[in-house]
Amino acid sequence: MSKKVLLIEDEPHIVAALRFLLQREGLTVFDHGDGQDATQKISELIPDLVILDVMLPGRSGMQILQDLRDDKHTQDLPVLMLTAKGQKKDREAAESAGASMFMTKPFANEEILKNVKALLNR
Amino acid sequence: MARSLTGTRIRERRRGKNLSQTELARQVGISSSYLNLIEHNRRGIAGKTLLAIAENLGVDARSLSEGADRAHIMQLREAAANVPSAEAEVDRLEEFIGRFPGWARLIDEFQSQSKFQNETLLALSDRLKHDPFFAEAIHMMVSNITAIHSTAGILSEGDDVPPDMRRMFLDNLSAESARLAKTASDLIGHFDTSEQAEQLGTRSSAVDQFFETNGFYLEKLENSDADVRDLVEGAGPLSDFDRADLVTTLTRYQDMARALPLDPFLDRCRELAFDPLRLALDRSVPLETVFRRLTHLPRNELLPEFGFLKVDGSGGVLFRKQLTTLNLPKFSSGCPLWPVYRCFGQPGQPVRAIMNTPTGESFLTFSVAKQQPMNEFGLPPSLTASMIFTTDFAAFVPRAERQGLAQLDVGLHCTVCPRLECSARRSGYILG
Repeated sequence: MSKKVLLIEDEPHIVAALRFLLQREGLTVFDHGDGQDATQKISELIPDLVILDVMLPGRSGMQILQDLRDDKHTQDLPVLMLTAKGQKKDREAAESAGASMFMTKPFANEEILKNVKALLNR
Repeated sequence: MARSLTGTRIRERRRGKNLSQTELARQVGISSSYLNLIEHNRRGIAGKTLLAIAENLGVDARSLSEGADRAHIMQLREAAANVPSAEAEVDRLEEFIGRFPGWARLIDEFQSQSKFQNETLLALSDRLKHDPFFAEAIHMMVSNITAIHSTAGILSEGDDVPPDMRRMFLDNLSAESARLAKTASDLIGHFDTSEQAEQLGTRSSAVDQFFETNGFYLEKLENSDADVRDLVEGAGPLSDFDRADLVTTLTRYQDMARALPLDPFLDRCRELAFDPLRLALDRSVPLETVFRRLTHLPRNELLPEFGFLKVDGSGGVLFRKQLTTLNLPKFSSGCPLWPVYRCFGQPGQPVRAIMNTPTGESFLTFSVAKQQPMNEFGLPPSLTASMIFTTDFAAFVPRAERQGLAQLDVGLHCTVCPRLECSARRSGYILG
């Protein structure tokens, strides 16, 4: 049974590209574009990996991540954070909030695939 | 106490004219040994001898006796402090200005340019940090680039993309490229230099430039029938904001000139010792109108010259008229002890005080803060404060009255202010 990846990202063309790349690797991909009810979506789906954008409408990726880490059902869920900000303090903030990995946009396709595989095989 | 450098200036001017000491002494009618003592500042000089020397050197006697103005000296001191590694001989500054006035003016000009550029850079840097449009535009561009980069990678990596998906990705590429171009274009528009003064949060320099070019007395607007737009049209190309700002400022000038016609106002000034509060009561106009009238007087030796500074509650400069002896801030950061900042605490209450600067100048100042008209309910008042100031007050304020005035020891800017123990200090003294 293929692993489930939930992509929480509000830019449809980024979603389309990532969906194609991940499906080509045999993964089942779901997406969600709103921060407001993202935690609920994750709880319902219980994916194997969440790819989470930091800047989302409704609620920031960082707040969503904190909710996940505060919930015993999702506290160990692998989360790959995506952000347009690449400063050291942003990376540190994401890591201290419990991100499993942090990537800066724009990213190379092979790089994000490598990180997704690494997180799914942990 | 600084020694008089009149002799040094005489020596430099004499050398500049290739005159020998003996020759100048003969022309003036004194011995060359006496001239030698004068030139080495070992003998004081004034009166007829000074006038005779000045006449033979073809210069104004005051340029020999007074030397450089304080603002010029402060500017060069700041330039020296900015590059401490140069180890400029600050203690010989007056001598340098006297000996090499052209070089001194050049350094002064460079220092002015450097300060302006630094202020502009700070304003730009602050803007980049806090400009919500810029942050949003950058975020959007990064998203566009991410989508394009990833999609282009998929299309170029191999032939395993089904035709319908290939079509979709090409459409996505086209849409993202168009969005990227639009965002870039908007961003360029946002940074259009013609709008920068407005968007930097600094007061437009168009008003500054207008008064610097035309002087602060506008005879054309003293005639109440003149059309301010004629003057604005003559000011050259302006952005919409600058044009509107200049029209507002000149219209305010015209209103002031109508409320206080020059000749009758000057008559009352002489009778009321240029006291703005008494003049405002006498003429039944707001105090700030009198401030403006005194700021916009014709240049005349018999009239005191007033400088003017108007600021808002954030310290932003709304209008200024410099006097050469007092460096006013262009954007903000004057000395917080100046009465113009202190009077925010008591809006409507006029403040009169003598302001003494570390460079030895004294300014008679009048300040008042006033509430701006409000267009909303339930908010605290928005205030502005204005100050006029003059050094020419000995003639119209009697000594006894001067002694009874509040004396404020103030600075110009902390970095060049030697009052090290000042409770209002907010940055270090860099000339010590």
